[in-house]
Amino acid sequence: MRRHEVVVVGAGLAGQRAALAAVEAGRDVAVVSKLHPLRSHSGAAQGGINAAVGAEDSIDTHIYDTVKGSDYLGDQDAIEFFCREAGPTVVEMEHFGTIFSRAPDGSLARRPFGGAGFPRTIYAADRTGLALLQAIWERLATEATRFTLYQEWDLTRIVVRDGKVQGIVAFDRKNGRFEGIAAPAVVIATGPSGRIYARTTNAHSCTGDGVAAAYEAGALLKDLEFVQFHPTALLDSGILITEGARGEGGILKNSKGERFMSKYAPHVLDLASRDVVSRAIVTEVSEGNGFEGGFVHLELMHLGKERIESRLQEICDFCRNFAGIDPVTQPIPVYPAQHYMMGGIGTNAKGETSVPGLFAAGEAACVSIHGANRLGGNSLLETLVFGKQAGIAAAAFAAQAAGRPTVTDSDVDASQAPIRAMMARDHGEDPAQLRAEMQATMERYVGIYRNDADMLEGIKRIRALKQRYANVRIVDRSQVYNLNLTDALEVGHMLELAEAIVVGAYARTESRGAHSRIDYPKRDDARWMRHTLARKGPEGPELSYSPVAYTRWEPKERVY
Amino acid sequence: MRIAYYPGCVAQESGRELDLATRWVAKALGIELVEFPNFSCCGSGFVDEANLTLNVAINARNLGIAERAGLDVLTVCSTCQGMLTLANHRLEDPAMRARVDPALAKIGVPYRGTVKVKHLLEVLTSDIGLDAVKARVRRPLAGLKVGAFYGCHLLRPGAEAGFDSPEEPHTFEDLLSAIGAEPVMYRGRVMCCGFPILFVKPETANRIAGRQIADAKDHGAHAMATPCPLCHISLDSFQNKAQAVVGRDLDMPVFHLPQLVALAFGATPDEIGLSRHLVPTGPALARVAPSAGASPSA
Amino acid sequence: MAVAKTLEAPIEVYRFEPGKDAKPHYDRYTLTVEPHTPVLTALLRIRTELDPSLTLRYSCRSSICGSCAMQINSKSRLACQTPIGPEIEKHGRLVVEPMRNQPVLRDLVVDQASFWKHYDRIEPHLKLDPRHPMPEGKPNPMTPAEVARFYETPRCIACAACYSACPAVEADADFPGPMALAKLYRFVVDPRDQAHQDRLVRIQTDGLWLCLRCHLCTEACPKDVRPSERIRDLKELAIAAQGGTEPGSRHAIGFKENIRERGQLQEMKLVRQSDGVGGMLAQAPQGLRLWRKKPEIAKKPRAIDDLDQLEALYRELDAPPRDDS
Repeated sequence: MRRHEVVVVGAGLAGQRAALAAVEAGRDVAVVSKLHPLRSHSGAAQGGINAAVGAEDSIDTHIYDTVKGSDYLGDQDAIEFFCREAGPTVVEMEHFGTIFSRAPDGSLARRPFGGAGFPRTIYAADRTGLALLQAIWERLATEATRFTLYQEWDLTRIVVRDGKVQGIVAFDRKNGRFEGIAAPAVVIATGPSGRIYARTTNAHSCTGDGVAAAYEAGALLKDLEFVQFHPTALLDSGILITEGARGEGGILKNSKGERFMSKYAPHVLDLASRDVVSRAIVTEVSEGNGFEGGFVHLELMHLGKERIESRLQEICDFCRNFAGIDPVTQPIPVYPAQHYMMGGIGTNAKGETSVPGLFAAGEAACVSIHGANRLGGNSLLETLVFGKQAGIAAAAFAAQAAGRPTVTDSDVDASQAPIRAMMARDHGEDPAQLRAEMQATMERYVGIYRNDADMLEGIKRIRALKQRYANVRIVDRSQVYNLNLTDALEVGHMLELAEAIVVGAYARTESRGAHSRIDYPKRDDARWMRHTLARKGPEGPELSYSPVAYTRWEPKERVY
Repeated sequence: MRIAYYPGCVAQESGRELDLATRWVAKALGIELVEFPNFSCCGSGFVDEANLTLNVAINARNLGIAERAGLDVLTVCSTCQGMLTLANHRLEDPAMRARVDPALAKIGVPYRGTVKVKHLLEVLTSDIGLDAVKARVRRPLAGLKVGAFYGCHLLRPGAEAGFDSPEEPHTFEDLLSAIGAEPVMYRGRVMCCGFPILFVKPETANRIAGRQIADAKDHGAHAMATPCPLCHISLDSFQNKAQAVVGRDLDMPVFHLPQLVALAFGATPDEIGLSRHLVPTGPALARVAPSAGASPSA
Repeated sequence: MAVAKTLEAPIEVYRFEPGKDAKPHYDRYTLTVEPHTPVLTALLRIRTELDPSLTLRYSCRSSICGSCAMQINSKSRLACQTPIGPEIEKHGRLVVEPMRNQPVLRDLVVDQASFWKHYDRIEPHLKLDPRHPMPEGKPNPMTPAEVARFYETPRCIACAACYSACPAVEADADFPGPMALAKLYRFVVDPRDQAHQDRLVRIQTDGLWLCLRCHLCTEACPKDVRPSERIRDLKELAIAAQGGTEPGSRHAIGFKENIRERGQLQEMKLVRQSDGVGGMLAQAPQGLRLWRKKPEIAKKPRAIDDLDQLEALYRELDAPPRDDS
């Protein structure tokens, strides 16, 4: 058994920032990640990071925009803290070495973003996530003697005994060995779980392993039903076409050649908020105004070759490399895709979960600051602000922890035995098949528009898949880099989360932010101004609710 | 056609056989080589490491001399080709222009940027054309399996070189086929010969050369051919060293590109300086199937 | 949208598990794909439809995570960014193999330890000097022009395609590889870094001069970082910082001075300039061997016409050579 004081699972921006904070607090830290830290999905973020540092801007405006964007489901105390930390966080990342784009006077350049009152989004060209990820890794790696990196290790469980965290069990892809890592404090920063859906902008690795493990370990998950769909993803691959494409003047058209956004958002047209545009596209396609195969066109051609190639260089590359489309001469086929999970492991602003010793940060967590809908530019900021808080809190917890946590052989075996059984089967379910059916189910029954009957069907289907999962089979018996094994583990994790998403969504009989019900089209503050909490029970998720924290902003109708 | 002949340093010194063969081929095809005794060294990929601006200026001067005469430039060396071409591209940068132009003005050799730099391989395959080359063949090199070895700077960086595919070229093999030889495909044909570090870490340079030669040999080549005299130094002049480092006998004759063309056109080994090679070329030539006309020997 | 034609793609994939398999073999699969279908998509379809034991690294499928570099028809490429159609059109086949220059763990997955070791060795982080602290509570000012100097290098996604393509890495374990050197360049031109001089001095003896300038890295790079160009930049900066202290920098400076004299390379003299007298002696047997076949190497070449023009360029554009003694 290995032993550390703080184990951080996930090495994207949130995990690395947590690890750095814990290292700086003097703790012995382990960083466990199924990817090399520089390959984390944080690097895929393009747009930027919000901080109200401009002379004309104010922290209060950032707070207000975030509260309003959340459709009043965000906790205002956490949002205030979050927005106040924005400036120092960006400065710290600049000091760590981030190469931000600059204004002519040498200050950090800022660009306008959806839902924000001022140009508030600080950026590094169109690769802000990568720039931040490089800088945080460069900084953290200077502490290499003070932490241990378990690279390409997969988390299988969080061990909790007597209500206290004991550590984790994980396996090393390189040799297939399952090992216990004991620690009094564990930080989950495993990022997104978008692969629950068929169409997602997320990386293949975004399977919610840490969220599922926390759920399994008894932690409360919060607000899982709020799933953000980005309106413009490439048709086949789901690769993101940034909002910037419409910002530059790109327009959406249906198969009749109509600029259909004029029907849905007559004032801001194609630049309406993400949930509005996504719903418009789905409506067009379902009413027969889509192209064959079910999509609409994003047209850039009228912008001209020079402008497209200079301002939207990455988009050009994506279209040409991944869709065989030249946006200079051809429309881009797009359809909404899952993009971001507002929900996750419930935490407070210190990253504490409902389980003592268990902490969470980043997209895996739900503080909540995004509420029912996240604003662009707030997710990168969230990873760093709350990653740091979780690291500080975990380090403090570990420093004061009484007793000696242990991960026993039987804890390890509890993870390993099911795998052995999956490998021993001569017949059984193919994990890839189960994954495909889960993804199709979530897409069809718990997508952008939801209703009672669909979600009931979704619950039924996901539960049927869970039953079939009990007989899943791993065909590949190798101990080395066994991806078939990884597939099986990940599908198991995602099925648990899928069930919690759909059960929570079914229960919430209103429309708010990204949760949009045809049968309950209005926001219902009297009944639903509260967070959904899901605990894993013997029969599936058991729901409870908690109040939203208010400070200064009264709920209003959300109009842009 | 008329073209400014830029032989480069090595073809005028240790690689004179390359110059001999080039003149032979040019004459045979009616290419008029216009000589400029004021051309200087291209910098060879070393001067720019010490001073890029100076190197660009040196080559801008070379190109300016050709521009004044209204001629494009013919090179017979992948490195000269690469350095002159890169200079053309680097001069598109206004900041570089601003540094180089005043110096050129001082020496009275301005350069507007209009000269195209062409390697002999390009001239043969594009300007003359493979049909015309084929028509001139008197003694097809049938039976001779040849591994073309391109030399990096002819091909790369591809965005600037703009000649053939930077990683999967075919023109040299096309030319070899046109003169009756059988081209051998092998990975090493687009790799480095090791020359650039021959004076930095000879053993590594020799190992790199040895690997490419061994690769050609393992794919059945009887001989190699190169459009670059620097590659020739590494592959031929230092083959004994390469052999020692890779620990196997290589015995690989290495021809300069125009030597093989000249042979197919009917040149004698003496006319193209084959005796100057370190690795004897005779065994390779003995493989050429006899045809009407004299059988070559060296 | 035009309906894309499909094609039957024969895909040959390298399979090997060291310690279990005696030697590598290739499995052949046939898939119906569209010409623009990326190789990664095909490999993932093989995993889900035909053979779940096929092993590779992948994550983002949009050329930002750097996981899926491999050899595609012998070229080092990101599988997610390489469409199948043109490969089949050009080669009639699609051969997928692991990256080179790194030992295979299984199938298409390689052990990247040496790649990361070289990356770590260049100390890839801002080095600060307590005498020049960062501005408190404020970002460092930096102009767009300063950022433009290293605009390309932060695009690097550490995919190691350059490392796989590099013949110097293949031949010499001391060479840090293109990615590490491009990353070093990024720090050497970063105005916030306080260790430019130290970094440049150290890299002179740490493999900088083993770069062959073959530009294979620049062709392999999926993000247009152009590592070979950044390495050239580093060499010039290293010479400016320290002069010719190593065989490589001595050679570059020696070459520059060599052709200044006659406008043409003086081959024998160059050996002395680069290797010194000791090197000359070491090279003597080889020199003699060459001299027998090519006697002119011992003679001075003619001087070019208008040599004064060249001299004028040197005077205008080249600072006086440093004293290296």
